[in-house]
Amino acid sequence: MNAPLILTISALNKRFGKRQVLQEIELVLRPGECSLLSGGNGAGKTTLLRILSGLEKPDSSQIDMGNGFQSWRRSRADLQKNVLYLHQQPYMFDGSVRYNLGYALPSGLPKQLRNNMIDAAIDWAELNRLHDTPAKSLSGGERQRVSLARAWLRNPHILLLDEPTANLDQEARRRTLDLLRSFKKEGISLLLASHDPIHFSSLIDRHLHLYDSHLVKIEDQKLMQIPQLQSHVSLRSTA
Amino acid sequence: MGILGDTTLAALNLLFSGNAELWEIIAISFRVSGVAILIATPPALLVAFLLTYKRFPGRRLLISINSTFLSIPAVVIGLTFFILLSRQGPLGEWRLLFTQTAMVLGQIALAFPILVAMGHSALQAADRRAWETARTLGANLIRAVFTIMREARFGLMAAFLAAFGRIIAEVGASMMLGGNILHYTRNIPTAIALESSKGEFAQGIALGLVLLTLAFTLNALLQHIQGKGQPVT
Repeated sequence: MNAPLILTISALNKRFGKRQVLQEIELVLRPGECSLLSGGNGAGKTTLLRILSGLEKPDSSQIDMGNGFQSWRRSRADLQKNVLYLHQQPYMFDGSVRYNLGYALPSGLPKQLRNNMIDAAIDWAELNRLHDTPAKSLSGGERQRVSLARAWLRNPHILLLDEPTANLDQEARRRTLDLLRSFKKEGISLLLASHDPIHFSSLIDRHLHLYDSHLVKIEDQKLMQIPQLQSHVSLRSTA
Repeated sequence: MGILGDTTLAALNLLFSGNAELWEIIAISFRVSGVAILIATPPALLVAFLLTYKRFPGRRLLISINSTFLSIPAVVIGLTFFILLSRQGPLGEWRLLFTQTAMVLGQIALAFPILVAMGHSALQAADRRAWETARTLGANLIRAVFTIMREARFGLMAAFLAAFGRIIAEVGASMMLGGNILHYTRNIPTAIALESSKGEFAQGIALGLVLLTLAFTLNALLQHIQGKGQPVT
């Protein structure tokens, strides 16, 4: 892991046509901190994650990654270098699990070192039985573990996960949470978008909620599971 | 046996007796079309990629123009290049008319829109997450492009085979730009046209059989490739 990195987002706005999806978003992601991002369907959770990972252009924003505030356009290369985004349904490249894991490594690595690193990732994510299996044939839980193992090899400062436990059974969810816990221990900043905040109660340090295109912090942890009851929740507008 | 049977027998005899002139014509066809498809493919796939993954003004217009070129007859391509390459034409000084190079140029122009259109379809059909996953996993632009090409390889291979099948069988452009010169620019389609006009059907049928065999092989390959590309269930 390189030197810790704090990502600060300010005045982030995004609109699709006439619809304002994100408005004046303020957000700080710190090393080793796990944040939960909730919000209804279409609230803008995925859009926010995609903007933070450099995949989607915002209408306006200021981003500080330790060198002062810059536009998203100027920060994009740094975002792509330091932030890793995992889709709700992870994409597996055509090839074996080993091939998929190897993709996360720089192409110039010596073969022996490359193989050792892939083996370590296989052990880390408990993929030993599956290493030669075509990745496209894996179940949802197995794909999630492969995608986390790829992230582990890539070793980002910030990991953004879109509904990481959606459609997983209890065992697959437990394994995913264990892997996320180990990311946190390694000092990686996690931002999880989820409809089911309760699943992550043992992992998260703070709960952010997207409501009416604004990002708010939910203070009362007991209310994590019912973020839709806005009027009863203590909200703070800076996150 | 009727005239068709006799001619086919004579054609098979020509093919299997190793008739040097016949095999030279076949070799010229494969050489010219092989070079043309190899030159056309990389830039065409790059254009297909840009049309798929980049949003820029005029993109839809470009797609429509390319689709229009799909239906241009080979003879019109031939005529256009003939004017360009003829003595009085803007490229007349290159002295390329009635050479294999001129035939290659014409076939590139024919193959290019097919490769772009089919490549564009194949890339559009590829999962968008492939590109995003490649980029977020640290792939630079070139590596990500090659990754997408790899993911869409079955569709792209189909584009390659379809374009090759089209240019090796076209007669209009080759006739106008190559001039049908024996031992130099006479290829399969122009030879068939010439022999038929002379009433020499055996060589025409023999060459037709070669084209049919090629078409069958390409289609069988295509089926095989598309079968391989079916998603795992």
